Amino acid sequence: MYLVEHDAKALLAARGIPVPKGALVTDAEELPSLPPGPWVVKAQVPAGGRGKAGGVRRADTEAAVREAVSEILRLHIAGRRVRECRIEERVSFAHEAYASILLDPVSAAVRVLLAPRGGMDIESLAEETGLVRSGLCDPDAASIAACAAGLARDLPHPLGAALGSAIHQLAAAFCAYECTLLEVNPLFVMPDGTWCAGDAKMITDDSALPRQSAVAALLERRAHAYPEAHLKLHHGCDYVVVDPEGEIGLLTTGAGLSMMLIDELRASGLKPYNFLDVRTGGLRGDPTRLIHVLEWIAQGPRVKVLLVNIFAGITDLGEFARLLLAALRSVPEFRAPVVARLVGNGFEAARAALAEGDIPVVTDLEVAVSRVREKLGVEAA
Amino acid sequence: MIDLAVNRRTPVLVQGITGRAGRQHTRLMRGYGTNIVAGVSPARDVGDLDGIPVFAGCRDAVAATGATASVLFVGAMQLLGAIREAVEAGIRLIVTPTEGMPVHDALAALRLTRAAGVAWVGASTPGMAVPGEAKLGFLPDSSLLPGPLGIVSKSGTLSYEAGYRLVQHGIGQSVWIGVGGDPVKGTRFAELVPFYAAHRPTRAVLIIGEIGGSEEEEFARALTERQFTKPVFALIAGRSSPQGVTMGHAGALVHGKHGSYAAKKEALEAAGVRVFATLDEMAAGIRAWHAS
Repeated sequence: MYLVEHDAKALLAARGIPVPKGALVTDAEELPSLPPGPWVVKAQVPAGGRGKAGGVRRADTEAAVREAVSEILRLHIAGRRVRECRIEERVSFAHEAYASILLDPVSAAVRVLLAPRGGMDIESLAEETGLVRSGLCDPDAASIAACAAGLARDLPHPLGAALGSAIHQLAAAFCAYECTLLEVNPLFVMPDGTWCAGDAKMITDDSALPRQSAVAALLERRAHAYPEAHLKLHHGCDYVVVDPEGEIGLLTTGAGLSMMLIDELRASGLKPYNFLDVRTGGLRGDPTRLIHVLEWIAQGPRVKVLLVNIFAGITDLGEFARLLLAALRSVPEFRAPVVARLVGNGFEAARAALAEGDIPVVTDLEVAVSRVREKLGVEAA
Repeated sequence: MIDLAVNRRTPVLVQGITGRAGRQHTRLMRGYGTNIVAGVSPARDVGDLDGIPVFAGCRDAVAATGATASVLFVGAMQLLGAIREAVEAGIRLIVTPTEGMPVHDALAALRLTRAAGVAWVGASTPGMAVPGEAKLGFLPDSSLLPGPLGIVSKSGTLSYEAGYRLVQHGIGQSVWIGVGGDPVKGTRFAELVPFYAAHRPTRAVLIIGEIGGSEEEEFARALTERQFTKPVFALIAGRSSPQGVTMGHAGALVHGKHGSYAAKKEALEAAGVRVFATLDEMAAGIRAWHAS
């Protein structure tokens, strides 16, 4: 889960890591109590390049804060509507450095990156020869801190000591929260050698949620900010609305095939509404998950057809068909016609069952897509 | 070099054999021809499953049966411990279909399998198969056929679909490896390049990747470095996916330029790989190669 800055900073602050005081806001007319000004107003989206996209603005008065918030809340950044801003105490007269810790899957180790200057993205920093220092170490907090201390050894005072101290604390947080990435850029270093996290990019591991109570509690509290992760935790499937204006609801299993189907539909001029890996192999005879999925897809205002695509490796299609019919009966508000493409064990039973529900079944994906076109009333591209 | 050329004689252990998935897939694997010689289960007093002896621990199972490979149907939070047990018992090839293994656990498992020189395929994989010989995991039989194509894939379902389309045209596979969709995994695409280079029955390779991570780029580099001469084809899912959102697989996360479709396509094409935009184009391209 790619945490937005505000949440990453809350988790860091909970472990005693210094961050500038800040407040979260969703409406320019209803500002919460603000930390001391002047301020910086920052769009809260899980994407880099917020500054370049106009999502980070300075404000010296409350009126300017209001104006900045209302303008940022109108932005789309990296394809996402901005719905929240963090209003933060502005840090002045600080030196900007760079620090990050990430898992390195190739070397089965942790990589530490440090740079005596920060503020721009790591790709730009890396273009300057010798600026970014990089080391690999064992995946425990003590090894990470030792690695960072080595990388920072020859940096001038107070920068070297500040970076060493920062990584010491960040490494403990990285391991405690089971992050795959923790990047602080800029890392503010004051003339007196104290430091704080100017920004924070944190990616945590959804698979570790059962044993990560602080991250799990954050996810419950902020479910609307992480709809995909919240849904997966509670419903056992992956669902992402890829186009709110989409016309084709997808009931699909398998992440790769579902992504590929979306790619192909879009390339041929069609508009899929959602990504879904429903995990038919894990339904265990219960239609509840399918009922939820149909309710979610029913919220798509322009969805006109449901395309079911199941290539069953482990699923019994006969059982799946019965569950699908039960789910459709339970969600009467879902009225779009259904096109089903099924391959695998229990195909004949599935075809017979779905025929009773007036749902035609095909085995060829191309044929299924052409049926979808007919339902939408569009010509082949 | 990792040796993944299992055959119908390879003695295979199933850890978690008495669970729902373990029981079901043991029967299906055996039906395909896999030589399942033993099971391990924490349940007490299970003498056997369909005549397969069931042991309390890996060490006893390996000592009694000589199993060299193991398929693990074990929960995500118990998987690291089960992998450690298999390694300590002397298993040489470990396949873990389990989804949802914590990433820090996967890193620990990777360190211990590498240190012991044990091959690990997974997690989050349908497994692997040498069609006509054996399958370790649950690749669907309808997609399997002996043939000249090596398939390596992050995604299960997309590889089923690709394999199925090619099988309908009589094109089968030599060795099929599902590396899985997790960010930290036992076997990465690039590590399979030396294996396929040396594996004589393999005449071409199809790599089925997806957005996120850097495996496709590493694979492209390995092809160039090893001067891989067999034809390589690729299908990459997720070119229209939004960034910052995990698309089902834990590894399928684009942030910034990291893990983007464009970066992968460019790297693969620079290494001489034919990257197809659709399943149809992929099937047509591989048929044309096969006919020539």
